[in-house]
Amino acid sequence: MLWYKAWLETRWRFAIGLAILMVSACGLVFAYPQVARLMPLASTIEARGEIGRRVQEAVQLSREYHGYIWSQWFRQNLIQMWTVFAALLGAGGLLSQASGGAALYTLSMPASRARLLVVRAAAGLGELLVLAIAPSLLIPLLSPAVGDSYSVVDAIVHGACLFLGGAVFYALAVLLSTIFADIWRPLLISLAVAVVMALGEMFVRDVWPHGIFSLMNGEAYFRTRHVPWAGLIVTTAAAAALLYGAAVSLAQRDF
Amino acid sequence: MLFRPNPSLGVPIYLQLMEQVKHAVETGALRPGDQLPGIRPLAEELVINPNTVAKAYRELEHEGVIELRHGAGAFVTAHGGGRKAADKVRAAQPVVAAAVERLRARGLTDEEIRRMFEAELAGLTRTGGPRG
Amino acid sequence: MADAPVIEIAGLQKRYASVDAVRGLDLQVPRGSIFGFLGRNGAGKTTTIKMLLGMARPSGGSARVFGLAADAPHASVEIRRRTGFVSEDKELYDFMTVDDLVRFTAPFFPRWRRDLEERYRRTFELRGDMKVKTLSRGMRTKLALLLALCRGAELLVLDEPTAGLDPAVTEEVLQALVGHVARDETTVFFSSHQIAEVEQIADRIAIIDRGRAVLTGALDDLRDNFRRVQLVFDREAPQTTFRAAGVARVRRQGRVLTVVTSGGAEPILDEARALGPVSVDVAPVTLKDIFLETVATED
Repeated sequence: MLWYKAWLETRWRFAIGLAILMVSACGLVFAYPQVARLMPLASTIEARGEIGRRVQEAVQLSREYHGYIWSQWFRQNLIQMWTVFAALLGAGGLLSQASGGAALYTLSMPASRARLLVVRAAAGLGELLVLAIAPSLLIPLLSPAVGDSYSVVDAIVHGACLFLGGAVFYALAVLLSTIFADIWRPLLISLAVAVVMALGEMFVRDVWPHGIFSLMNGEAYFRTRHVPWAGLIVTTAAAAALLYGAAVSLAQRDF
Repeated sequence: MLFRPNPSLGVPIYLQLMEQVKHAVETGALRPGDQLPGIRPLAEELVINPNTVAKAYRELEHEGVIELRHGAGAFVTAHGGGRKAADKVRAAQPVVAAAVERLRARGLTDEEIRRMFEAELAGLTRTGGPRG
Repeated sequence: MADAPVIEIAGLQKRYASVDAVRGLDLQVPRGSIFGFLGRNGAGKTTTIKMLLGMARPSGGSARVFGLAADAPHASVEIRRRTGFVSEDKELYDFMTVDDLVRFTAPFFPRWRRDLEERYRRTFELRGDMKVKTLSRGMRTKLALLLALCRGAELLVLDEPTAGLDPAVTEEVLQALVGHVARDETTVFFSSHQIAEVEQIADRIAIIDRGRAVLTGALDDLRDNFRRVQLVFDREAPQTTFRAAGVARVRRQGRVLTVVTSGGAEPILDEARALGPVSVDVAPVTLKDIFLETVATED
């Protein structure tokens, strides 16, 4: 049962990720009263450059709860940690067992390599979807405790944007894991690509405002309540293409 | 009662098995009408190839030592093939005696004669006996 | 009665980047046989097995299992549905327990035998909660064997099934194999270094050296036909090449000429008489010696 194996293989990574994200979401919500009290001091901060501009913007947004949640959770904590888990879940695949040799056992099962990949990828994507949405749903749940409210729909939409936008990193890790036998290179290369893209996005914002990370944090939805369908379709297609590439790469490989 | 054949003897395992059965019949350990172990259980017990056991049983049946009753198993024949084997040996005795006489007449020593017989027997392929 | 062979390999080749692992292998495994596949390390045994099961693709030639092409992806899935496999290193998922592995494996095989599973769990002393990573090599082999034997497979492909096992466990494993073949009419194709175990249970063998089969045949035929003929002379042993077919090796040591032949002693003796030896000794050849002789002649 391939689903069963995929679950057993990834359950700890998934559980730890879920726990971390849930705790982080809680922490964020319960920190708001503190943050709100610090707001008057914020205008005294002087900051320069791109980073400074961002910090000032974050402070501005945090003046009200909705903006606080978006800038701290969807644009920062969640997206950063989730991307790491996307790479982590994608990197341990069929081949990471190859160094141990159990890959031969999997390959001796009456299942095509395509099926092996599809099940593995689907399980990982399912877990990533939960990691994007479940902790985000905690926020509307807990917000009343600090005297505020957050819309469930917004949480779901942002979670979905994160998932559909960021699935490419998962797919990239999966593709790399059909090429490299160890778990580290797919993981580190995927993360490196994410970091480079994030930094790039930050610094060329004026020239090219449509970055993948702004897609993932649902900026368009936050500012204009328009779901960025076009962008999400592009990233979803890219993720599918990368997974297809992974299937082709796996099918050709000699073990 | 049947013990492990030695696979590295250079003698086919099925022949060793046959020898064991015939020996058991000669010594009376197996009597006419006694049932032999089934092919599968015997193969498992001795940890040898079931095809080998089957071949041994077939050849034993061919020589009249046992009979394979369809569905019931393998049984030692009424005369246990013993008479048949003993008759065969007795009938062949004069042939050996004559050959030894002729070889001695040529000046070969008994030692030489024995080694030649061993050499001939070791080249079993041509001289009949159970086919491989 | 003339059953198609379960495994049919013709001119099989496999080239890796710098190495020709298999260089034109020909081999047939008849249904119901226990087929021993012998060869030195690196001779190409494991590569051949991987090609049979679709884990590696041939560079040339053909391999068919159950009449299906082993390098066609869909056919390969079908082959694996009817085959039980134990790899050389017996690696299994070390994050799973025995129960997990059965739960993983059984659903792939509609003919999974629960009765055999119970029996082997008992005889191999495998408890369901045992974690794979804590199992010794012997236990892992037994578990791998259980997983292979319970599939209702028509063919078992085993890569060095008893390597590294102590004699007691080896015997258990061989016994399970023999019992399985006896009851379920399975064909077994196993590679091995352990000549003794091959002699014990195989009825056909092939010896592979440097990617080619140097000897194939029924074990009993080999036992009948391989002979070591020792000729002693009263002078230096003559330099002769024997015209008889099947001469594997001729060794001259002083006054002794030793001929190892696969064609029976007769033809050698015929030619030897003309040389006037003082004594002639004919002895059978063990499988170990057959192996050493046929593999060494390639040097």
